[in-house]
Amino acid sequence: MLKIPKIKFVENKKIYFSIVIVLLAITLISCFVFGVNLDIKFKGGTIVTYSYTGDIDTNAVKSTVEDAIGFSVSVQQSEDFATKNQNLVISLTDSQHLQMDVQQDMTASLVAAFPDNAIEKLSDTSVDPSMGSKFFAKSMVALVFSFIVLVVYIGFRFKRIQGWTAGISAICALLFDICMVFASFVICRMPLDDNFVAVVLTILGYSINNTIVIYDRLRENQRLHGKNMTYAELMNLSINQTLSRCIHTSVTTVTAMVTVCVVAIIFGVTSIISFAFPMIIGMISGVFTSTCIAGPLWVTWQEHRSNKKANA
Amino acid sequence: MKRVGKPVFFIVAIFIIVFTAVAFFGISTQFGDVETVYIKGAGDIRWGIDIRGGVDVTFKPADDAVDVTDAQMSAAEAIIKTRLVSQNINDYEVYTDYSGQRIIVRFPWKSDETNFDPAAAVEELGETASLTFRDGQGVDDEGMPTGEVILNGSDVLTASVVFIPNELTQITEPAVSLELTDSGIEKFAEATGRLAESNGVISIWMDDTMISAPQVNEQISDGMAIISGNFTTESATELADKINAGALPFELVTDTFRTISPKLGMGARDAMFLSCVIAYILIVIFMIIFYRLPGVVAGIALLGQIGGTIAAISGFFPFFSSFTLTVPGIAGIILAVGVGVDANIITASRIREELYNGKSLDGAIDAGFKRGFTAVFDGNITMVLIALILMGAFGTPDSFLAVLLKPLFFAFGATTEGTIYSFGYTLVVGVIFNFLMGITASRLMLKSLSKFKCFRNPALYGGAKSC
Repeated sequence: MLKIPKIKFVENKKIYFSIVIVLLAITLISCFVFGVNLDIKFKGGTIVTYSYTGDIDTNAVKSTVEDAIGFSVSVQQSEDFATKNQNLVISLTDSQHLQMDVQQDMTASLVAAFPDNAIEKLSDTSVDPSMGSKFFAKSMVALVFSFIVLVVYIGFRFKRIQGWTAGISAICALLFDICMVFASFVICRMPLDDNFVAVVLTILGYSINNTIVIYDRLRENQRLHGKNMTYAELMNLSINQTLSRCIHTSVTTVTAMVTVCVVAIIFGVTSIISFAFPMIIGMISGVFTSTCIAGPLWVTWQEHRSNKKANA
Repeated sequence: MKRVGKPVFFIVAIFIIVFTAVAFFGISTQFGDVETVYIKGAGDIRWGIDIRGGVDVTFKPADDAVDVTDAQMSAAEAIIKTRLVSQNINDYEVYTDYSGQRIIVRFPWKSDETNFDPAAAVEELGETASLTFRDGQGVDDEGMPTGEVILNGSDVLTASVVFIPNELTQITEPAVSLELTDSGIEKFAEATGRLAESNGVISIWMDDTMISAPQVNEQISDGMAIISGNFTTESATELADKINAGALPFELVTDTFRTISPKLGMGARDAMFLSCVIAYILIVIFMIIFYRLPGVVAGIALLGQIGGTIAAISGFFPFFSSFTLTVPGIAGIILAVGVGVDANIITASRIREELYNGKSLDGAIDAGFKRGFTAVFDGNITMVLIALILMGAFGTPDSFLAVLLKPLFFAFGATTEGTIYSFGYTLVVGVIFNFLMGITASRLMLKSLSKFKCFRNPALYGGAKSC
């Protein structure tokens, strides 16, 4: 016989729920410790990056720029990991959007003040604060709407296993996954940007897929053994039967993401690191929640409902 | 579907490999310097500005513009397009969001220019560029022209650069010659006739800058107006282009903009490509170790899925127009590949399970695909739903999905966050190819292989060693 593990997922729910609470607490604490950084895409502002050669006095840069544009700025030096080029990152202290002519003044004054440093503009991002908050709100509405669509779809497709409770249990699991992605951004001190939205949406799809595979097996087992088994037994059987698939899929996808992450570190492409690393965290969280949270939660809910029915 | 013959595996596998190869490399002929592309390959993919560098800017009417109508917005859009072309930028995207009164412009770095200044290009796009001929050269305290307007940009049919000798030095200098419309000719003749008597002055303005202020010596009735001044050939061409492109109904200021130098992005693309190759090899090795023969089949099917997605992006299929690929778009491909691996794993582990439950090889393969399908189907459809919401929320304002979801997102205006849209697109395309490759092609290949005597051993499918 094929060995099917006999882990009592439903009976161990207290352990899993405690893990969830501890991790949520850590997330909350780190929010207070590190603070939540919004990228200028969301809160508005201006960041300009220049490349330069030789040595440069950042204080002189700061005063040159402030004289040219009339806003206070902060200047940071960074080194491009791959090209070993020196970069200057100039960001406005206030969340202000700079018009093009002001920007050009800024570049011109820097080039004039530091002629020996071969200053060249690499990138610049400038967002009006009202535009940024609209983008943020829109992302949130897209997220909430995705949740509703998922609940409706699961409710419809999984009628046999009381789709609505199944759908909402799955969403609870998803919310926790999103918290973990959020935490990885906060703890790594990365500002929440459009990568965050992309990762959250990917994890949404990835984690719901895991949960659906289990629900699908549950739907089948309900048909085969529904009369002889309790909700808890059915769920344990379904999770254990799909466990090897779940682990194998996770290993392959996490391997793919780790590869992306490692290559990005070697090449020094920070925009991809801030994408790939939270993705790995979200994927691991997704495996945990769909096996240990969504299933037991559904069972708890079903038992609660049948108890109520029995008492009535 | 019940009977799948032995040759089917080779037909499907060869088809996938050829298709993927063509999707990656394209088909083109090189004849001397002329390259004719018959089928576009991966090299023809249009990369997003986050990868190859470029400009992403959102314009809004300046604060003093009031009562902006839809007609004015589309006029502004048309003028911006003309200006982009006259700046030699042909590979642009321009979207207008009428409800939010925003114009979104995206264009890549010009590949042939090393000292391209995107800030200057953007500033030029937003200028009103309103040409006026005025009576006298009077200005108010703020330097704004006060003279009565004789002609404006709409009286000009075309502007072109001419070379005329300077009256004093006799050196040939560039100037801008205007051909006027009929009503323009009339107005100009009337004004020059009136001013010639008093030796008056006509001042020529571009927005708030006076270009020149020639004295009127005689009536001009042939409609030929010439703007001379301290022009170089370049600045004369620039002015002529501006006049030809027409004036904006209002000044446009930027609301957001992003410029990225191409030096930053290409590293990201190479890194992503390399990691895709490594990840693919690792996944195939893993699949073969754990699932043996179905693992090999999965490797071929995955290749087809990736090839198909590349083809849908590069413009390989006539019914898919080519698509701009961004970094999140590549992530969408990776996620879709993950889903594709999952489909193969679900089926392969189900086959193994059925074998252990005592089913025959053929029965197990049939049952594996049949029972695995519902899980794969539901998982994939939820992915598609999420991707479609994304495309509707962050896509172009006039696309089908955006119109469909308009009641939901109307309050937020069009953001056309192109990078997220790209994610949704590659995910949808990837999932469609997963249905074709991960499910249909895998089943055909596996069933066909199982007809060969040497592949009849259940151990090859992860089953028990002895039959």
